Formats: sequence, C-alpha cells, structure tokens
Amino acid sequence: MKPQPPITRRPPAEVMRLSRLGSLHQCRLSFMRQLTRRMAREQWRFSRPTFDIDDKGVGHAIYTARAPHRAYSLVAFAHDLPADKRSDRVIAEAWDATFTLFDGIPTAADIKRLQQNVPLQEAGRVSAKELSLSRANQSVRMWTHVLDSLAAGQQPDMKRIAEVGYLMRTTAVYGSGKFGAADRETLADREELQAPFQAEMLSVYLTRAFVRDLVEHMASVKGGKQATRLQPEIARRLGIGNSTGLGMAPFLVNHPVLLNNWIMAREEAIARVRRLAQASETAMQTFRRVMRQNILSINQWHSDHPIQKEKLSRLHRDMDLLRRHIDDAGLSAPYPWDALMRWAAKNLSEEGQECLASLILEPYAELTDDLCASMSDAGGDAVIDGAALVGDTRALIEENFAWALKLDWNAKENCARAWYVSEEKLEPRLGERFAEPIAEFEQPLAPARDAAAAWHDLQNWKDAQPIAEFLLRHPQHRRAIRRAQISIHAPYGEIRDNTISAALLPIDMLRAKLSFFGATHFDPRSDRWVRICMYAGAPYPETLAPENADQWVYPEAAP
Amino acid sequence: MNCSLNEIELLAKRAARGVGYCWSLAEEAGKATRWLCAHDVDGVKQLALLLQRGFAENPYRHRPQEIHGVWQGDNALCPIMTGCLLSDCAARLRSETIQTGPLAVPTLLLPFAAAARITGAPVTISAEGWQAEVQASALYADDIFPQQTDAVRIQTGNTAATSRRPRRRQTRATPDAASLAFLEHLARQTYAPATEESRRLGAG
Repeated sequence: MKPQPPITRRPPAEVMRLSRLGSLHQCRLSFMRQLTRRMAREQWRFSRPTFDIDDKGVGHAIYTARAPHRAYSLVAFAHDLPADKRSDRVIAEAWDATFTLFDGIPTAADIKRLQQNVPLQEAGRVSAKELSLSRANQSVRMWTHVLDSLAAGQQPDMKRIAEVGYLMRTTAVYGSGKFGAADRETLADREELQAPFQAEMLSVYLTRAFVRDLVEHMASVKGGKQATRLQPEIARRLGIGNSTGLGMAPFLVNHPVLLNNWIMAREEAIARVRRLAQASETAMQTFRRVMRQNILSINQWHSDHPIQKEKLSRLHRDMDLLRRHIDDAGLSAPYPWDALMRWAAKNLSEEGQECLASLILEPYAELTDDLCASMSDAGGDAVIDGAALVGDTRALIEENFAWALKLDWNAKENCARAWYVSEEKLEPRLGERFAEPIAEFEQPLAPARDAAAAWHDLQNWKDAQPIAEFLLRHPQHRRAIRRAQISIHAPYGEIRDNTISAALLPIDMLRAKLSFFGATHFDPRSDRWVRICMYAGAPYPETLAPENADQWVYPEAAP
Repeated sequence: MNCSLNEIELLAKRAARGVGYCWSLAEEAGKATRWLCAHDVDGVKQLALLLQRGFAENPYRHRPQEIHGVWQGDNALCPIMTGCLLSDCAARLRSETIQTGPLAVPTLLLPFAAAARITGAPVTISAEGWQAEVQASALYADDIFPQQTDAVRIQTGNTAATSRRPRRRQTRATPDAASLAFLEHLARQTYAPATEESRRLGAG
C-alpha cells in the first residue's frame, strides 16, 4: 500500500464559510440522537401521570421521564386558539399549546403556579425548578387531515404526512436562565444534561408524544366510537416541526468556544473515518443502507424557497452521482472514505459534500461517539492574557480574518446590515443600517469587522508591547482581543464571513445550529426564518430501545 | 424578584451599554455583576451605584493613566476599567503590590481580582476600613460595600482580619428592587423602538 499523506481535519478556512455552514446535515453526534441513545442505554422510564384535557382540547398533561438519578416532567398546556391568533412570529401572544420542562415531579402547587405563567410565555415567569419554556402551533392542514381521518376511523394519508411531517411546530424553545428558568451552570454536574441542549431536546421529544396523544384524544371526542388511533408506523413518521427566526443566529457568534467544539467534534470524526485504511464488509453495508434510506428522506424534503429549491435539486443530483460512483468505484480501494470525500469535493455541491460527510460516520459508532463528550463548553469565561504580545495578537487576527482585513468596511455593501434588539419582545432583529434608524442600537455581532478595527489600531503598536497596554488605551477592542486569544484553542470558533454584509443569509447561521440539534428538512420561509422537522422517525417513549434509538433519522421504505 | 444569573448578566451588560460604555466594557460589567451575585453580594446594587456616577460620558478621566506605578485617573477611577487592567496585569501581582488612587464602588473590583488569580495564591484587596479576599472560587468579605475609597492596595496573600467564612455561593439573585428597576430603565436605552416596518423587515 502506498504511504498516504497525513489526513487531517479540514481547515477552518474551508469549513467556517457561511455557505458551507448553511449546508450542514445532522450526523450521529447530533444532540437529539445523543439523547435518544442515552435514554435507551440507561433505560429511562416514561409515564403520563396526568392527561386532563377536555372536549374542547383545553387542559393540561404531564409526561415524566425517569433517568437513573432523577426525573424530568414535561408540563403541557393545551389551549383553544382562535385561528386569527395563530402566528409563528415571536411577537405572537397566544398558541395552541405551551410547555415547560419541570425539574422532577411537579406538585399541585407547582402546576397552579405554572398554569398562571407558562401560557403567557415571555410575559410570564418561571423559576429555578423549570429548565425550559416553549410553545407550539398546529400545522392546520395536517392537524385537520389527521384529526378528521382518525375521527372517521381511518388512517391519514402517508403521502400527505410526508409532505408536512408534523402535526405541530414549536415556535420557540427557551432554555438556560431565560424568563427565570434554571441556569445551565446549575445543572452542569448532571451527566444526562452534559451534552448541549439536552433539556431542550428532551422537552421536544416529550412534546411529540403529547401532540400525538392530543390528536388521538380530539379524534375520539369528534368521532366517538367510530374513531381510531394512529397506527404506530404512521405515528412514527410524524415529527415535531420547529419554526426558527433570527433569535437563534446570534448564539453562534456569542459562543465561539461552543461553536468550535461542535464543529471540531464533527471534523475530528470525519478525519478519523477518513484515516481508515480499509472499510469492513459490515461498514460498507451500513453505509450503503443509510445512503439509500437518506435518499428517501431527501425525497420527502420540500421547500418553496428559491435558494433551497436550487440546493435541493443539486442534492438530488449529487445523491445520484454518489450512488453511481459507489457502484462503479466501490469502497475497496485503500483509504476508501478519504478517497470518497476527495471525489465529493470535486464533484458534489456543498450540500452534497456535507450530506456525505455525515453519512460516512454512520458505520463507526465506536470510532466517533466518544467525541459527543467534547461538545459542551465547561471552561467558563475566557480571561484575557494581558501579557500576550501585540505582534502575536496581530498574527492571530490575521490567521482568523485575513479576508476581513482587506475589506473596505466603510463601503455600504459591507456594512449594510445591523443587528439590534427590538423593544417589543427583546428579540434580535436584523435591519438596514442606511435605511432605518438602528445604528445607535447595534449589537456587537460582527466579529470580523471588529477584528479588522482592532488590527488596524494595533498597527501603531510595537510587536513586543504587552496587549494589556493596548487594551488600556483601546478598551473597545477587548472583545476582539479575547476572541483572538480564544481562537488559539478554538480554531473553528469564528464564522469566516461577514455577518453584516448586504449579501448575508441569516438562514445559513440558523441551519448550522439546527443541524447540530439533529434537525432535517430545512425549509427556509425567507432569508431569515426557517422551518424544520425534529424527531421524525424516532420511536415514541413507550417503544424506545437500544436497537431503535440511533439511526431512526433514516426512514425505512414507506409502509 | 428572584432572577437567574443569566438574566442578571444580560441585564447588567445592557444597562452598562445603555449609559454609554462600549460593548466590550459593558460585557465586563455584566460578568462582574453576575460574579458578585453568585458570591452572595448584590451586584445589581453595586452596578447601579456605579452607573449613577456617569463615568461613561468621559471614560478617559476615570481609567488609570499609566500601566506602571500607582494607578490614578484624572478623577475617581471606574472599577470596571480598573478591573480590566488588574485582570490583564495579573502577572505584576507575583512580584509587587498594586496601588490605586481614589476608586469608586471598589466591590466591583473583586470579580476582576478573581480573574487575576494567576499564581493560585489568594488576592487581598484593601482600603481604609474595608478589605476582601478572593481565593479559587471563594470570596471572603464582610457586608461592607463602600461607595468610594481613597486608595486601594491589591496584593497576593491573605490577611487574618478578613472574615474566615467564605460567602455562600448562590445560583439565583434577589437584587434590590430599586436598583433592578434602575438597570432595567438603562437597559431599555439599548432597544430599538419597534415599528411596523421593523416588524415586517427585521424579524425572523
């Protein structure tokens, strides 16, 4: 066998471009799959101690998940929402259902307190006993179809289910400390909440069970004796939708260490698989199977957004090319996964490349799953090293932001946008700097511009001066200098694109984050909000077991 | 009100920005406020005391003029700007005591002394009639919170006079209501007024 040049992780300059981040796919490190694997491995027990919903669909229900050392309960409130109040926008004030994930088993007094607050969402207040706050609205067309079918004693049409994918979609899932909820730091010693967003993912997992139960309950109210329940294999295809707007985008900018840890884990997993000199027969079989199943999933992925439509049509073609390439070239050459990734870089779109990169991890749980443990940020705040030298700091900025240093940041197209927080619901928005009076309210969400500004001011300083002196004179650059120092250990912490450019597509930032949740079927509704599907294909709590807890994301052939 | 520490940090950051500190310093103010609350000191009240002073209107007068020697401003020093320098100059504490001139709300310096703990040794901050000690993740301090001190000494090592029981770590904050309302008022200055246009164009 020929000696192979060392196979390393792909460089940040390649991975951290927004167009690629906006093409990421779920993989076996995704947070939903981490959760379902853990729950099955640890044999969590699930129960529904309360389902107190009336004939109008109003009331509350409790779903409890018992982990080895403690319990968590989803407290769900169902409402009778007038159609004209149904809105996915963050400015909405009423929803079909509202939820909180309670730490433990709620008492009657807890339920009373939650009843007064959870339905109000942002206008209410939760406590240190709650880990999340969320709400969901019906997909009216899917809800009506499933409800009417079941009430008439029939099963819903699988084709229509495949088109939408869910009965309800969440429009916000707030965690860590929001609206009075428990801070993540206070839960940091709990093994089951170590991985990122596990409380939120659990909340959505239980929400899916509630929504199935609710539609069956309403069908039995409507249809009486004639009504039937969802066949399990049909129910399993139903996920929970999610409608995500700009609120999520600043997260990636504000948490460079976390962003790094997510990307680094995936890149390391990809590199480990690429370093394998051979693929075993079993590995090849697994890969071919998930590839075929993934094509089924892609066939059910619909979007009317022009950009995503174009990306999807490329992805269909890419999957065709991939299948034919594997039929022709096989996987028996030396370093087959590396060869495949190299071929993909030349022949597939970014959407196809990232899809493949996720797929090659599937046969290799034992090689990659340990990386799940490295995806949180347990380090606490990064303290600036004031003794660092000006010259070294300049070099760090050049490493991360070479492209940004050449940019004319005063040119309108390069700073056309500004991120700000609206008075209304205190959520982030993106505005036009030169058309709206928002510049004075700008949030610091343009690290490339800020790094360039720091770099320019550093030109007047000598290489050997400590950065502490520079920062005393230029305190406004502390953020940029801190980020530069963070990048020493977190090379994937910075998005290598302009987050205030006229050409920015915020949906790329949303997709990067949602792909790590494990979301599928990204359907942008504009350049700044996207609908996705979560948990479609996953076993419900009563059937969750080690053998179905992992690759549920890849659909079997439709029943 | 009983608040999460995330809420406190975000509110403090926005309030500091609201009075005119740059985002970098506002972020430091947020972290410092959170640290105090986590160590059973009402950081919200301390920050409110500072933000009332209006230092952000003329920040250069309230920061140490030189990195060497005694840290003096043209006027009373801002504990956030002074704290940043303390954190950045942590190495100096290995070999010398750092001294400052008049300093406003010295309690707000303590979180930065925690960040400055690079040698693993405790750091003691003292002034006339007031002192505190910061160790690993513990704060030793009595319930004395001066509005201003004439001079501060910062050195490694502990002093027998400090309370020997660390303050209790807190996972929630129950700040003084008037101070909380004041910070909320200041934070509001950072929010853009909502318009139909911005609802339509700007939101996700």
